[in-house]
Amino acid sequence: MDVRAQLVMVFNLDKCLGCHTCSIACKNIWSDRRGAEYMWWNNVETKPGAGYPKFWEDQRKYKGGWVLKGNYVKLRAFGKFSTLLNIFYQPYMPKLEDYYHPWTYDYANLYNAPEADDQPVAEPVSLISGEKIDIEFGPNWDDDLSGSPLYAENDVNLDERRIISSFGKLFMFYLPRICNHCLNPACVAACPQRAIYKRGEDGIVLVDQNTCRGWRFCVSACPYKKVYYNWNTGKSEKCIFCYPRTETAQANACAHSCVGRIRYVGVILYDADRLDVALKVRDEELVEAQRRIILDPKDEMIRRAAKENGVPDSWLDAAIKSPAYALIREFEVALPLHPEFRTMPMTFYVPPLSPVLATQRIAYDVEDHEAIPDMEHLRVPVRYLSKLFSAGNEDVVVDALQKLIALRAYMRAKNLGESPDEQILRKASLDTGATERLYRLFTVASYHERYTIPSLHREYLDVAPSDERRGGRGFGIIAKPRGGL
Amino acid sequence: MLDVLIFAVLPYFAIALAIFVTPYRYFSNRLDWSTFSTQFLERRSLYWGSIPWHYGVVLILAGHIIGFLFPSTIQSLLSDLSALIALESIALGLGLMTLFGSIILLVRRFSGVVRAVTSYADWVLLLLILLQAATGVYMGLFVRWGMEWYLHTAVPWLYSLLTLNPQIGFVSGLPLVFKLHVAGAFLILAVLPFTKLVHFLFLPLDYLKDPPILYRWVRREKQLGK
Ligand code: HEM
Ligand code: SF4
Ligand code: SF4
Repeated sequence: MDVRAQLVMVFNLDKCLGCHTCSIACKNIWSDRRGAEYMWWNNVETKPGAGYPKFWEDQRKYKGGWVLKGNYVKLRAFGKFSTLLNIFYQPYMPKLEDYYHPWTYDYANLYNAPEADDQPVAEPVSLISGEKIDIEFGPNWDDDLSGSPLYAENDVNLDERRIISSFGKLFMFYLPRICNHCLNPACVAACPQRAIYKRGEDGIVLVDQNTCRGWRFCVSACPYKKVYYNWNTGKSEKCIFCYPRTETAQANACAHSCVGRIRYVGVILYDADRLDVALKVRDEELVEAQRRIILDPKDEMIRRAAKENGVPDSWLDAAIKSPAYALIREFEVALPLHPEFRTMPMTFYVPPLSPVLATQRIAYDVEDHEAIPDMEHLRVPVRYLSKLFSAGNEDVVVDALQKLIALRAYMRAKNLGESPDEQILRKASLDTGATERLYRLFTVASYHERYTIPSLHREYLDVAPSDERRGGRGFGIIAKPRGGL
Repeated sequence: MLDVLIFAVLPYFAIALAIFVTPYRYFSNRLDWSTFSTQFLERRSLYWGSIPWHYGVVLILAGHIIGFLFPSTIQSLLSDLSALIALESIALGLGLMTLFGSIILLVRRFSGVVRAVTSYADWVLLLLILLQAATGVYMGLFVRWGMEWYLHTAVPWLYSLLTLNPQIGFVSGLPLVFKLHVAGAFLILAVLPFTKLVHFLFLPLDYLKDPPILYRWVRREKQLGK
């Protein structure tokens, strides 16, 4: 047993408003720089939809992630030698237009334009070249299902494309995404320079800016397209899980600012020795296999093994309080995004239930609503959710949804002063204690219940902050990024 | 005079720059040590530029180095006329690839977003490699059997450079285009530490033997014996 700790984020999709506050918080801190304008380390996309970059989930196009070949898990695009052969030009790398061309407006024209019959306008100009451009696509261009025939209808997870044009059956929800800080990160494996690494202590995946040479295999290999190429510095960048914040026990900027309070951050313990086995199961078994390598932090044997591995006591305590452990492993309501990419992502999603009012034809009035509709009448098709969160295994999604429905029915009855039906809980394999805890987590849980992030105690780690960083400006740039004659 | 400049002064100057400035750059600031790839911004013409250029130049450079390191072996290989013709044709083909590639690489820099991210260093470098490819191909066509004469003109002269006793006599009788090619080569070496050309100095080969996932532990004593 090789017990390691990992920081994990969980998103409760039922509560995401699609307000993009998280994206802005992230951008303000980390990616508001030349070359990074187009990057959204945290982005929120509408599902069904094209996403960001466009159709990132379509691995027939981007060839990201891993595939199971016999008893080997291999990168989909390149082996080690074909990496070298494709190093001069990468066939599957997304291009700028797949994200969008960053732009601003020529505001000066509003003041400087000569007198004329028409009002002057501020035309869009490229943030890269300063030339005038036509805006053809932008961040969240397809927000709230806009442009559906072009975008949502071509969502690769959608079986029944017509659902998009059938008003009565139409559905949507928001999907906030950051780097998943995977246990089997394809970005790390694909980097020939070995510039990307996973931190042993907390599992955060980082690009070493001094080592990166801009070969960009990580950009292609990440199936979630969460490594970005900075065209100005010539290096790749990605979400850093706000490690300067988490190291000091503060929540990540996106989580901290989340208006819907949909996010949870906590520690899980996992068995690195069993990773290999868990990666080699069939698609439908992936979620279950991933759950099984997550260990019970209360188990004495596991705690001892973790300590031997150097996991500090404060981390073990945090693992017990971790909302991530509760939602993922204990209650099994949080699911990984696209487990079939086999990177073993370490962010998890509680699938959306709402609107429970089902479809137009089977509209429940308020009385009926008490009963809470059954699975078949939920607006978001289970099939669709299963393609996102369980590699097509509908049972896994149904189990999670059943718990959410039971939780609602039970708590609603209770809050209305009726006698709640414990039968429904048992059917969803919950009990009253678990229900109360879940209810609390999903509703009134305080900041410190939602974010149980232990400090990394760098002060004890015997690593002096590097001299070059002292008095510096924080992340990344110590010296000017661009050299030359 | 020009000969001394091209065959003695420039080479030492260029080698000195490459040897001393490159490590300085490496150790003082690696944040700009990159390919500065522009594929992200423009890929259609890069495909036709980068692939022919690199496959051509890597093999041709290897050829130059092999000839320099093992002159007598190559000499005996080339004594077979058909081998000489075959190798010369391959070299010419590769040369044409580099020429074609370097033209595309330069031309695509003139417009749009690629122009916006082009530094002076890029212009200088791309111009130099184009001239280098052009003079190389010119010799391949009009100063035939370069493989032969390279071995007993340029190679002994290069060895004389190494022994700090430059013997310009080996090469001073060669045509002007050869002198331009040599000048170009050492100019490229001279600008190496100041441009993105440094990208090929550290070939990424470690990963061939490494396990796929790389961990780094902040703690000094690595708890895991792996
Ligand atoms: C075998 C080792 C080499 C590798 C792996 C390599 C890789 C690369 C890569 C990835 C790029 C960026 C292309 C892009 O824009 O996406 C590049 C550009 C370039 N390489 Fe290489 N290269 C190698 C050797 C060389 C050599 C030997 C030379 C010349 C002596 C060279 C000259 C150039 C030049 C001039 C560019 C700039 C092209 C441009 O941006 O317009 N490379 N190389
Ligand atoms: S989501 Fe992508 S970038 Fe993040 S760790 Fe996984 S493979 Fe790497
Ligand atoms: S801040 Fe929270 S609620 Fe708003 S879009 Fe982001 S994840 Fe959703």
